[in-house]
Amino acid sequence: MSGREVRTAGPRQASDEGYGDVRGLRTSLVFALLSALVLLAFVANLLVGSVALEPRQILSILAGATDDQMAYQVIWSIRLPRICAAALLGGALGLSGMLLQTLFANPIAGPYVLGISNGAKLAVALVMVVIVGDLQAMSTWMQLAAAFVGSFAVMAFVLAVSRRVSSSSVLVVVGVMVGYVCNAVTDVLITFASDANIVNLRNWSLGSFSGTSGSQVLAMAVVVLTAFALTYLLAKPLGIYQLGETYAESMGVDVRTFRLVVIVLASVLAASVTAFAGPISFVGVAVPHVARHLLGTSRPQLVIPASFLSGSLVCLVCDLVARAAFAPVELPVSTVTALFGAPVVIWVLLSRHERVS
Amino acid sequence: MRQERTDAPREALEKDVLLATRGLSVGYGVRAIVEGVDLSLRAGQILTLVGPNGAGKSTILRTLCGQQQALAGTISLCGFDLRSLSVKERARLLAVHLTERVRPELLSCTEVVEMGRAPYTGLMGATTSADREKVRDAMELMQVWELRDRDFLQLSDGQRQRVLLARAICQEPRVLVLDEPMSHLDVRYQVELIRVLRQLSHERGMGIIMALHELPLARRASDWIVCVKEGAVALQGTPEQVFVPETIDGLFDLEAGTYDAWTGDVRAFGRGTDLDAASTEQSEVR
Repeated sequence: MSGREVRTAGPRQASDEGYGDVRGLRTSLVFALLSALVLLAFVANLLVGSVALEPRQILSILAGATDDQMAYQVIWSIRLPRICAAALLGGALGLSGMLLQTLFANPIAGPYVLGISNGAKLAVALVMVVIVGDLQAMSTWMQLAAAFVGSFAVMAFVLAVSRRVSSSSVLVVVGVMVGYVCNAVTDVLITFASDANIVNLRNWSLGSFSGTSGSQVLAMAVVVLTAFALTYLLAKPLGIYQLGETYAESMGVDVRTFRLVVIVLASVLAASVTAFAGPISFVGVAVPHVARHLLGTSRPQLVIPASFLSGSLVCLVCDLVARAAFAPVELPVSTVTALFGAPVVIWVLLSRHERVS
Repeated sequence: MRQERTDAPREALEKDVLLATRGLSVGYGVRAIVEGVDLSLRAGQILTLVGPNGAGKSTILRTLCGQQQALAGTISLCGFDLRSLSVKERARLLAVHLTERVRPELLSCTEVVEMGRAPYTGLMGATTSADREKVRDAMELMQVWELRDRDFLQLSDGQRQRVLLARAICQEPRVLVLDEPMSHLDVRYQVELIRVLRQLSHERGMGIIMALHELPLARRASDWIVCVKEGAVALQGTPEQVFVPETIDGLFDLEAGTYDAWTGDVRAFGRGTDLDAASTEQSEVR
């Protein structure tokens, strides 16, 4: 009797709040750490490059007080747009992966693994080679639209497969195969592209943040940040959906609408990455896991912003490595992201396997 | 006011019926698994579906909670046609606990149970202190408050089941639909769950409809038994009416005398129901 009274009376409030405090502290720490690292990576990217610039010089360029036109161009037209692209598109990859993993209830779902990135790539190449005939002549929005159609088509196909087979490994194999098919068709298209375009196309189809213009940064900021806001508004149903479709519906989630919105959002995010930078591997799969394990929860209210930040961080760091590791030779950024992402995927699978058995 | 009242079936209001079906057929596609189901569940009542594997008990439950289209017939929930309710309106009236496994990654038990408050929280799902109070009450009722900070995935099957049940309870439904709620529980928690279910129904006026394999538990827990067999409701009645040897042996195609009505047990070797179970009245056969 007395035990029961103790339970219901005094320590009730205290213990609840104490629990919340620990959680809150960890959350604040994670976000502070991620923000600091993103900032650090931003600065490092600004400093490192084939043209050596002093930190003081860069500061004066950013302040707009310099006579050195060449240095000014390097910072404002080359490094800054590239940094913004890596940060925004990295965040988009993280979000896209998070949405896909929730939708498919599959820890190794991601835009690249499921073939969605390659679908977008194929659509862009198709429009370019068959209709427009020139990568430079294609407007930013046209490229985006083509990429969206491609990623949405692959997504719809993979989703149709997932409705028939519930095995998550089959789903991934199907996604990888679809990706290969899209890749093969893209290669055929490249073979028939005019000589002038081939170099351009090859670079783009390997994935790179270089060559981003200021107007492109503006376009991707609009698209990616809008998608981020919409994703954040979906945090509540995304959380409930983790218990599966049936339970989600029983707790008031309109599953049909929800799924459609998630598919469109994930496609837009994956498409914007592919349209602007080409397919970038493994960031989408790996980043949400990093975010979840840092936070110690898969609550979407926290995981969504953390995935965005982690995605930005990973892409900034990988792009830095791609540029600086073997300078002046530049690595494709996908090569570096694969080196980071693939081990994370293996770790996720092993730790899952351990917990299940 | 008067207009609203006439919308709801009069019968439902008069008898306090929470859930009622008329001529309900359930199944997949065009193939009906069970046809002509007439049920009614009142406030404060526990109704249990029993019958052999594959008889369609789960299909009936899934249809009742709107997760599957009815092939024919009507379902009314608290006086409303089930199809006319939005998903959110339905979630405030009816909660479910199903047999399917859920594997959410990195969620604490509290976070799982809190999802039950989703039909009441705002756009971002923020819980108020009143919500958290209800979460705690439900978790204490299911004896999982001690597990509140544990990772849901790392629990045993039985613990997970109790956490999910707490989630359904804190959803504060008028009707609770449970598919095999006892399956992973040991004897202690089975007995405990029956106590909780009876408390929820008899004290809080919840209507509970469930499917059970364990006949002795069904007998102890229920106010009304519905037997499903070979595509139809074979019979329904009070536990006293249904749990007699002839009925149960027939329902499960057992050799005569296998079911012992006195202990509620099924005998591994037939014959010998000399315990005078036949004294209980035979139930009405539909």
